[in-house]
Amino acid sequence: MSRREAAASAAPRPSGLAGMSLACRDVSFSYEEARAPIPALRDVSFVLPAGGSLALMGASGSGKSTLLQVIRGLDAPESGAVVLDGAAPVDVGYAARQREVGLVFQAPELQLFASTARDDVAFGPRRLGWPEDRVSTAVEEALDVVGLPPAHFAERHPYTLSGGEQRRLALAGVLAMRPRLLLLDEPFVSLDPGTRRQLVGILERLKAAGVTLLLATHDADLAWALCEELLVLREGRAAAAGAWDFSAAGGRLLAANRLREPFFVELWRRLGRDPQRAPRTAAAAAEDLS
Amino acid sequence: MTSSPDETAPLLDIRGLHYRYAGASADALADLDLRVHEGELVAVVGANGSGKSTLARLLGGLEKPTAARLARACGHDLLADDGRIAARRDVGVLFQNPENQLVAQCVEDDVAFGLENLAWPPADIRRRVDEMLARFGLEELHLREPHMLSGGQKQRTALAGVIAVPRRVLVLDEPTAMLDPAGRDEVLAAVRELHGEGLAVVYVTQEMDEAVGADRVVALERGTEAYAGDADGLFADVALVRRLGLGLPAAGELALALAERGRGLRGLPLTMDALLEALGGAP
Repeated sequence: MSRREAAASAAPRPSGLAGMSLACRDVSFSYEEARAPIPALRDVSFVLPAGGSLALMGASGSGKSTLLQVIRGLDAPESGAVVLDGAAPVDVGYAARQREVGLVFQAPELQLFASTARDDVAFGPRRLGWPEDRVSTAVEEALDVVGLPPAHFAERHPYTLSGGEQRRLALAGVLAMRPRLLLLDEPFVSLDPGTRRQLVGILERLKAAGVTLLLATHDADLAWALCEELLVLREGRAAAAGAWDFSAAGGRLLAANRLREPFFVELWRRLGRDPQRAPRTAAAAAEDLS
Repeated sequence: MTSSPDETAPLLDIRGLHYRYAGASADALADLDLRVHEGELVAVVGANGSGKSTLARLLGGLEKPTAARLARACGHDLLADDGRIAARRDVGVLFQNPENQLVAQCVEDDVAFGLENLAWPPADIRRRVDEMLARFGLEELHLREPHMLSGGQKQRTALAGVIAVPRRVLVLDEPTAMLDPAGRDEVLAAVRELHGEGLAVVYVTQEMDEAVGADRVVALERGTEAYAGDADGLFADVALVRRLGLGLPAAGELALALAERGRGLRGLPLTMDALLEALGGAP
């Protein structure tokens, strides 16, 4: 059984989601400051096909969070365009597509506010104006997907949950709106290894269900485990976009951007194997080595 | 000089410590013992909510224990208000988020902040700050505003400020969690150097490979000690590691996966180098 199959069989699968394609075309954005605007993104271009997965990496301050917010539509690009499912902002239906982009902020548990898990997750769907029975179905499914079965968790106060449970509850609040493109900003920071494994499983299931994934992270191992492609931002510019490149030049590019190779890539290189064909998980590595 | 009745006594000596947050129905820390001696590096690991950060704050004299049979830091009684205030001078604490720890307008003012509060003479402050800027590679950034620094630079500035005040114990609460890999390496190198000079270090982390190099690892489970000993001993007990919500370093996870497929390696490698050696040695 493959990694994906194993993950997908372990928990309920999110249903009815088909991925959205994303293209950024020369996207630029600056933060307004008293003295002068501070450019945060400069001419960023890349394409992420529907159902694809892209790791967004780069040094602290390289523009990762800004890019996610621009893609979600919380900030409008100064120039360039975010194209969703082939539709540009001027096209009919763009706003509806934008609502199908989910953004999970850094430390999203800080934004939990309702007095029950159910109400917190229901907030987004209700704001979309969904009828209450649809909201209810979406909430229960989202809680299931993140491993917080509604029977046990729906009526709990968010503050009585552990930190890892709160992080997953916040993710459920985004998933309940049925995003077809999911943007995650450093979702693994401060999670214990067990909770990270759970979150990796959740993201694997979403991928298997077809959701397009854009994952900003400093963690090269998790980025490599989850994402087919890589976008490196450097001072707001795309320093690399596309397939992972572990050639000598690719290694220099990672180092220049304060990044490192994934563990299994370094292992493969040091074993004299082709790093480009390195496994993405311990199970796959063991399969290959045994 | 700080008072220490017995030089061989542990710098941190905690016995039967309890801490309960106001309004909480259970202890965040319960009947906890911890002893840390001069020059020791102790890693503290545990699931989210197991009490690691609470412990860090208590050791730094930033919270009052709810109860304890004994709670001393560098000879100061953490149960007494004046003891905690005195402990804050000997025990430096560095937190996770570099954004929250810088208070001044520029790097060198931030490094000087603790010394100014202690009313050091200006010339002594200048000398000490220059020494800290040099040691943490911050000389060229000395007038930089904190918001213009990278995460790693911010965390090094915060660490320089903590260490500028001569300390006997350094408590670090996930100091690398929010940093990029290069920033993480910078902070780890600085911590290793301080430990090499004899400073006692308590290092709270979720990164299992960071715990591997510690002299001792303490694992917390719902506020109590679930394990104390060397890293090899903790990671060899895979059932315990899983129960605690932890994991093995990547090398160890691969060794386990190999063992499941009938290719057990000699020993349990926990680092890339140990793994390569074990793979080379296996048939």
